[in-house]
Amino acid sequence: MWRLNKVRHKAGRHGDSSEQFRSKRREQENALRQARRDRQLVSKRLLLNDDEEHPEVTMETNSAGQDVVSLFLKLQHSGPEKEADLKALSKALRDPSAQLTFIKYGKSMHLLVGLLTGSNAQCRLQAVQCLHELSHSPHATVAPACLPVTPYLLTYLSGQSTRFTELCLYTLGNLCPDSDVVTEKLLAQGIIPALTSCLENQRHNLALVEAVVLKQLPSDLPSLLLSVLTPDPQFGLAPAIECAWCLHYLTSRQSAVDGRVLLCHGALLQCSSLLVSIGGVVADGKKEEGMELLICPLLRCVGNLLSSCPVDDLIAQVDDVRLPAALCALLQAYLHTQPALARETAWVLNNLTAHSIEFCSALLTLNLVPGLIQLLPFSQGINTMVKLRVLANIAHKKKEFCVQLIQLGLLSALCATLKMADPEMVTLSLDVLFMLVTSCPQVAEEFVKQGGLSLIEAIQYNSEGEMRRRAAYLLEHKLLS
Amino acid sequence: MLQPELDRLRTEGDVLVRSCGDVCPTSETEQSEVEEGNPFSFSPRLIHLHKDHELFEDGDIQRHMYLQDLYIFAEDDKPSLSVSEFACHISGCTTVFSTLQEYEHHYNSLHRNVCCSCHRSLPTARLLDIHIQEWHDSLFTILAEKQDMYQCLVEGCGQRFRTSKHRKDHLIKIHKYPQDFKFDKIKTDRREKKRQQHKDTDMEVVDDVCVSEGVCEDMCGVLSDQPEQGESMEMHMTDEDTTGMAANIEDPSLAVHGTTSTSTDPLKPRYSYRVPANICFGQASVRGFRGRRGKRK
Repeated sequence: MWRLNKVRHKAGRHGDSSEQFRSKRREQENALRQARRDRQLVSKRLLLNDDEEHPEVTMETNSAGQDVVSLFLKLQHSGPEKEADLKALSKALRDPSAQLTFIKYGKSMHLLVGLLTGSNAQCRLQAVQCLHELSHSPHATVAPACLPVTPYLLTYLSGQSTRFTELCLYTLGNLCPDSDVVTEKLLAQGIIPALTSCLENQRHNLALVEAVVLKQLPSDLPSLLLSVLTPDPQFGLAPAIECAWCLHYLTSRQSAVDGRVLLCHGALLQCSSLLVSIGGVVADGKKEEGMELLICPLLRCVGNLLSSCPVDDLIAQVDDVRLPAALCALLQAYLHTQPALARETAWVLNNLTAHSIEFCSALLTLNLVPGLIQLLPFSQGINTMVKLRVLANIAHKKKEFCVQLIQLGLLSALCATLKMADPEMVTLSLDVLFMLVTSCPQVAEEFVKQGGLSLIEAIQYNSEGEMRRRAAYLLEHKLLS
Repeated sequence: MLQPELDRLRTEGDVLVRSCGDVCPTSETEQSEVEEGNPFSFSPRLIHLHKDHELFEDGDIQRHMYLQDLYIFAEDDKPSLSVSEFACHISGCTTVFSTLQEYEHHYNSLHRNVCCSCHRSLPTARLLDIHIQEWHDSLFTILAEKQDMYQCLVEGCGQRFRTSKHRKDHLIKIHKYPQDFKFDKIKTDRREKKRQQHKDTDMEVVDDVCVSEGVCEDMCGVLSDQPEQGESMEMHMTDEDTTGMAANIEDPSLAVHGTTSTSTDPLKPRYSYRVPANICFGQASVRGFRGRRGKRK
């Protein structure tokens, strides 16, 4: 249906042995996790040509450095081989130490600016390529050296040469997060209007948008973003993915105002409709490669938008009773392969059912509850508590719902969850049990019949006070009376 | 996982069921009636998660793994072919390309947004408009004596200034532009004098090529103000026009409007290859239809 156009993983293309590749990937992953913990999770983007090797250093550090020096000198004297030299320079600048060497020359930016704005289109392209490499540098001093070029990059955002503008965009995106001083400067130089006008031409390129949104720059991007959201057969999933992540950063801000603004733009409507279509595709077993990259941010948008949405507006904003069905399909499909995704889906279901009788009722009517109940005992490293909260949300609404839940087998599932090691889980299970036995007198009997009594008695001696109190209350008032 | 939210639930004490109809932002505390001794505290809760929440960790990691392997397929760098596959169709532009992308990039960079009067190539349509206004519009000059006419170059700023110097100062001071921003050259008389030296030449001679020394330093070999025979129509050079004109060039049987010198002999139509003075195809273009093809980008 929608292909992940133009963007592909390079997994396994390096010629490394697969064991080497796996261990490298593990390292990379651990580094990312640590970065996230430190709130330093930023990935700079690098545009490459298809047939080129992975952008790691293939030449000796020494020679790369010398290459840069000699190329720089040649370019300064404006020789006839300008293009070829510049191209060689851009390749040489992939090497981090060459990058450091290059920026040491006071005239290096001046040279690049001259080529960037000159009359030779190929030189312009190669010059921006050089800047792009520099912007991607792992060294903290390199990217800031590129700041003098930002007004040019911003000007070119409204230009018409696609590849060139793309490079300007990505380069600016890399330079953006670097510091607050940079951010202020970019704002003064008109990054927001430039970006907005660029987006109108290059709707599929959101690299800089993400940087802007992450950096919390003021923007009027929601409607523009939303117009890019639906995957386009021409561009595939990639722009929709980028867009959904930008929306996620917007919706996850603490400010309630952002949420309401986005709701007014129909963000919830659009995101939830898209999820419904994706859910349908997944349920049919036709999921495309890379789809989870889109599902994840979409779920997050819907989840957070739901939390800002007044209940009275909910039906209008979501407009599709099939959303719970789509969510359940996603939950089932990804439970084993992408447990984190399953967890986020359950969170969205919680927000959907928390205060809405309609959606709780829909879950029952659409016969989605048995699936949820079945999933309860599956811990598999996943915390199943959110799923139980969803069921609890349903039970909480009406006694009639409780009765239906019992008929669908919730009691025996509770018997399983009450045995779990996680005290949170057990406490919540006790809460749910309380609601169930309160709804209807026969439930207590049924529970005892299923062998639940001994469980509760055992919990009385648990180290957790919360659990003990609940167990005692249940025994005293409900189960033994 | 949802520890903080659940902790908050518990510390709020015993709560009874609240009817749906209210939104619970995470920081609100609920009013409650407390049933004596009832320890059960479940209440449906909307959970808003900040982007750094631990629930999002795995998804974030997946996202960044994807980003760091990100690349885009582009035309690969083929070695230069001796026979060109693409050539710039703008007459007189002697550039050839081995890929379509190169060609498009060339065209988009150099042949769009060209000022028809002085043949300067500007990077964007907006800057072109500003340039034309300020450099070639006599009405502008008149108005500028009395009002602030020089617009700020930064889109969205909207301020106007009495002189280009004031504008430049504004750009430097407020928008933190460099002193020597290339797209804000101040007009001088020197350029006018230089242009007088070049003459309008015939099509055969190829050396009246628009040579660009820099983005706004384009020295076209034609004095644009020279009146053309029978030519009076002002051409507004939009992108479509350029493309349209370019297409027309391919077909020499189409007379360029306004300047066809008709021959008395109907059997031997003569075509004027003269392109009206106020049509320019930008840098590196000649004023006629013939040009040497070569490899220059």
